[in-house]
Amino acid sequence: MERSFKKEVQALRLGNGDTFRGEGILAVTKALLQSGVSYVGGYQGAPVSHLLDVLVDAEDILRELGVHLETCTNEASAAAMLGASINYPLRGAVTWKSIVGTNVAADALSNLASPGVVGGAMIILGEDYGEGASVIQERSYAYALKSTIWLLDPRPDLPSIVRTVEKGFELSEASHTPVMLELRIRACHVTGEFPAKDNRRAQYSGVSRIPGPVRFEYGRLAHPPVTFLQERLKTEERLPAACAFIRDHRLNEFIDGDVREIGIIVMGGLTNSVLRALERLGLADIFGVSRIPILVLNVVYPLVPEEIRAFCTGKRAVLVVEEGYPDYIEQTVNVELRRAGLSTRVYGKGPLPKTGEYTSEVLLHGLAAYLQTTRPTGVDIDAIAAKARAVTARKTDVSAALGGLPPRPPTFCTGCPERPVFSALKLMQREVGPTHISADIGCHSFATFAPFSMGNSILGYGMSLASAAAVGPNMDRRPIAVMGDGGFWHNGLITGVASSLFNKGDGILVIMQNGYASATGQQYIPSSAAGGDSRAPGMSIEQTLRAMGVKWLRTVRSYSVARMAAALKAAMKTAERGLKVIIADGECQLARQRRVRAEELEKLKRGERVKRVRYGIDDDICTGDHSCIRLSGCPSLTVKPSPDPLRTDPVATVVDSCVGCGLCGEVAHAAVLCPSFYRAEVVRNPHWTDRAIFHIRQRVIGWLGGYNVKAAA
Amino acid sequence: MDNLRPINLLIAALGGEGGGVLTEWIVAAASEMGFPVQSTSIPGVAQRTGATTYYIEIFPQKTDLLGDKRPVMALAPGIGDVDIVIASELLEAGRVITNGFVTPDRTVMIASTSRLYTMDEKIAMGDGRFDQEKLIEAVRRNAKEAFLVDMDTLTRRSGSMPSAVMLGLIAGCGRLPITAERFESVIRADGKATDANLRGFRAGLEAVQARREWTGEPTPKKFAPKTSELVEHEVTYTLPLVAQEIAIEGVRRLIAYQGVGYAQLYLSRLRAINDVDQTVGGQGKLVCDVARQLAVRMSFEDVVRVAEVKISRERLRRIAQDELRANGEPFSVHDFLKPGIEELTQLLPPIIARPILWLAERWEWFGRIHFGMKINVTSISGYLRFLVLAKLKWLRPYGIRYQQEQEQIESWLDLVKKAALISIDFAHEVIECARLIKGYGDTHARGLANYRLIETRVIRPALAGGLPPAKAADAVASARTAALKDPEGESLAKCLAEIDARVPLPAAAE
Repeated sequence: MERSFKKEVQALRLGNGDTFRGEGILAVTKALLQSGVSYVGGYQGAPVSHLLDVLVDAEDILRELGVHLETCTNEASAAAMLGASINYPLRGAVTWKSIVGTNVAADALSNLASPGVVGGAMIILGEDYGEGASVIQERSYAYALKSTIWLLDPRPDLPSIVRTVEKGFELSEASHTPVMLELRIRACHVTGEFPAKDNRRAQYSGVSRIPGPVRFEYGRLAHPPVTFLQERLKTEERLPAACAFIRDHRLNEFIDGDVREIGIIVMGGLTNSVLRALERLGLADIFGVSRIPILVLNVVYPLVPEEIRAFCTGKRAVLVVEEGYPDYIEQTVNVELRRAGLSTRVYGKGPLPKTGEYTSEVLLHGLAAYLQTTRPTGVDIDAIAAKARAVTARKTDVSAALGGLPPRPPTFCTGCPERPVFSALKLMQREVGPTHISADIGCHSFATFAPFSMGNSILGYGMSLASAAAVGPNMDRRPIAVMGDGGFWHNGLITGVASSLFNKGDGILVIMQNGYASATGQQYIPSSAAGGDSRAPGMSIEQTLRAMGVKWLRTVRSYSVARMAAALKAAMKTAERGLKVIIADGECQLARQRRVRAEELEKLKRGERVKRVRYGIDDDICTGDHSCIRLSGCPSLTVKPSPDPLRTDPVATVVDSCVGCGLCGEVAHAAVLCPSFYRAEVVRNPHWTDRAIFHIRQRVIGWLGGYNVKAAA
Repeated sequence: MDNLRPINLLIAALGGEGGGVLTEWIVAAASEMGFPVQSTSIPGVAQRTGATTYYIEIFPQKTDLLGDKRPVMALAPGIGDVDIVIASELLEAGRVITNGFVTPDRTVMIASTSRLYTMDEKIAMGDGRFDQEKLIEAVRRNAKEAFLVDMDTLTRRSGSMPSAVMLGLIAGCGRLPITAERFESVIRADGKATDANLRGFRAGLEAVQARREWTGEPTPKKFAPKTSELVEHEVTYTLPLVAQEIAIEGVRRLIAYQGVGYAQLYLSRLRAINDVDQTVGGQGKLVCDVARQLAVRMSFEDVVRVAEVKISRERLRRIAQDELRANGEPFSVHDFLKPGIEELTQLLPPIIARPILWLAERWEWFGRIHFGMKINVTSISGYLRFLVLAKLKWLRPYGIRYQQEQEQIESWLDLVKKAALISIDFAHEVIECARLIKGYGDTHARGLANYRLIETRVIRPALAGGLPPAKAADAVASARTAALKDPEGESLAKCLAEIDARVPLPAAAE
């Protein structure tokens, strides 16, 4: 894995009286152990990849407590795991990235929520919304609503997050309903402290097993006719039970203030941002004492009608601070007030924007607009409006003065084995003509950015081949689907390959076999190499495909640009119909470097022969056209001022971060670019043969007038 | 105590620079001193060389003195609410400024002057780099206090990591209630690469405490060797003063490239331009511009020049010592060459080369037939191959490439002279068009084709009076810029179409 938590997980052993210090993700793990879970699982994806990494690194601690850990192959299998809590008093938690992961898990979620649970079941959602998000901007709230799963959104500080996890299990059990806990990206990585408690060993777990299965009970199945009964149970029993629990245990917070004629209802996760915005407007102090009363919803679904009514009674207006669209909470508040016959005016989307992240700037504006509209007495409205205006004005002014800055999107790492495949694709297209490229989720989606700018659609993880199914039959040239090995095992194997073979599709699939789920931090996947500290069984993609009936199959080393371009061309041109698969084979360079560097250092220490390779460019041969960069885009291939006093265009250069993958040379060669590239090698701890050959060569070349180390010294 | 607010610190870093470690150090130091502290980040793409930020809030009152109260910490920076901004790269410093986080009433900004160019800047066919001065000016203008230093060089010189240098810079800026000693003890407690990190920390600390701002050294230029040839001296009394420096460099370069006679040809061409310059009152500007481009064009890149560079002693010394740091250890250098028919026939006289090229064209060899080789220039046979090529220099003037180049140069100079009679600006733009022709193989062919397109579609019509003189310079300039926009030539085609649309219309438009 990219990041090791071996050191940090020791904090999971803390007990009563200790203070836990660390990151949000780690605090959630600790809270799970304090809640006495019997099983955990999930599928990686930002911002909760690290949660799974933490669990994997904490395997020893989990084993002591008898907690079963499953690194699932996709979110559907993670959600299905929660099925253990339908019949048994087992607490369990799974995690994935929302919204996309929840989409994949949706089938299992419906079937879980309908019969309900006896053991607390919790889903920790990495809510990838706003800044840094890498997925479609949709809300998980819709799933909570439609499946009747409670949705927790705690205040983003460690004590609140931990309490919400613990209370969440109780809520789940009290109402026989699974719960979801959403954590925004910054909350996952927020640091802080909370008073730790002892870890709890579950009643039943790996170390004290359940004696036998429960008796057959039809009512525990999501199967008609009981599904009709379950639908009624959801609304008539579980919902009231949940509301009662939330009310009785005060899961939501109420902050009182002196400006009582108005109020604010805020999603728990946005509380700190709202309090800080109020503080900047002079309406709160730094310790969270607010002049305007606030209702903090640590549980955003269900809303407790009595709480809403009690808060709004006597208020002219309330502002609902709810990120994302549709405005579910705002609508519910409106309905509750109408039912209660209250005339409190509800503001929300209006003073606040309909979509996008509620940053400090957005909130300053929204609050100022709300106050300007409602004009509560005892508040200096004009001063507040002026302050909010100044903030925006400044941003507009400085942006205009500096002009548009070039963006810096993420890209393939130095030496990434996926980059050469796109170089080869680009070269193949020059010869064969442009092709439809069906892109996928994973590092390879960086090819949609410059310099490749490739990919006509992205339909979901492992879906590239399936999303080209109707393109091929309607187009002259075969479409090319690109998929990672992570995507292949997550979904692509069935949705893409099996479906294509079943329907005798005639397309091309390029599988990036780098050995890990790389984009999320190099987690193991079923085809990761077995052995070492790997948990993987080492399944073979190639054999899987052959067994399924793929006839045209080539495995090409991904760094061999010319061979890859030739294979792609052959796949495009061949008269043979059917699915053609090219496995681009090359280990994730981040993972490889981590391993190889340590190995080489060891070898050097032991005095063994090590060859160091790096690439370079002769700056007096390069003419500054940058074709090489347009075909490679390697971070260590960059530009520098020309050393030629008569030229102004910068020339290409290879910087120190080069890992010697050789792509730049391959590309220069395959694309016939220019003779500037060279590969330089040095042998550390050389054998006597290395020295002898070198010595002879040096003597002769020196005699011919060339560079000789000794003569130069 | 009511007036106390958190001290807010925004770190703008790039993947792999250790922003996460830096954040951990600061949080650990503040926490050890008993201050409430919180950090957040947006990692994920951090390892993938994208831009990333870390945000820290430190409350400057110890927790013990707060009783039950706890400050509300924000998870993201607010405009006008940031005390310290540190950016490890200049463009990222600019990005923080455009986002509004640097305000003159409050923010201390520590910015690196080093650049890590973005993809858009790198893939430009000419010079796509963002204006560095504009960024530096923005830092100075927007911050309450600005400190600019080349963190990249500071890091490399101290043999450390950017994170350690940044910690030193933050410690030294005097805005945090944490002493340098405390930070050092945190680095020690961390226990990883302690010595290197302490070196980096101190380098940063000292730089900021001594207010030693510097922006790195400019890249050294490689000038052609001095000669004692008369032709070099001749420049000083035949050309105007403003053009002499460039022209002398040109003369030296061409002596090294081919010989004294070739340098004399250069000078005589310049003198002809000088005559035109004097006629039109160019005050040496034309000579200056031509001197630069003509020297580059006349020293065109052919196999002889490439071979000479490849076996140059200075090159191999640089690679062995500076890049490989080979201290007596065996090393080798392998060059990637892939000449096609054109490269192989360059040195042949036209009478032999033409039939070969004619055949090659008929049999569609161009762009298809190449002779790929990886030559180890540090092996005897590899060295000899390059040596033989380099020694073929005497053949060059008889070769077809040489003759083609001279024809093209003459034709270009002729256009320049004619353009000068219309306007100096127009002539200047025609001169600059020479920059389009560069590189090898396809790149060279594309550049030449673009140049010819502009020549036939814009320059020649303008010379024939098809464009008003004031418009001619603009038209050439925009066509040249368009040619450098994309390698597929879409921008150029669009630009030429726009120029065409304007040409016949001047009367009708009124």
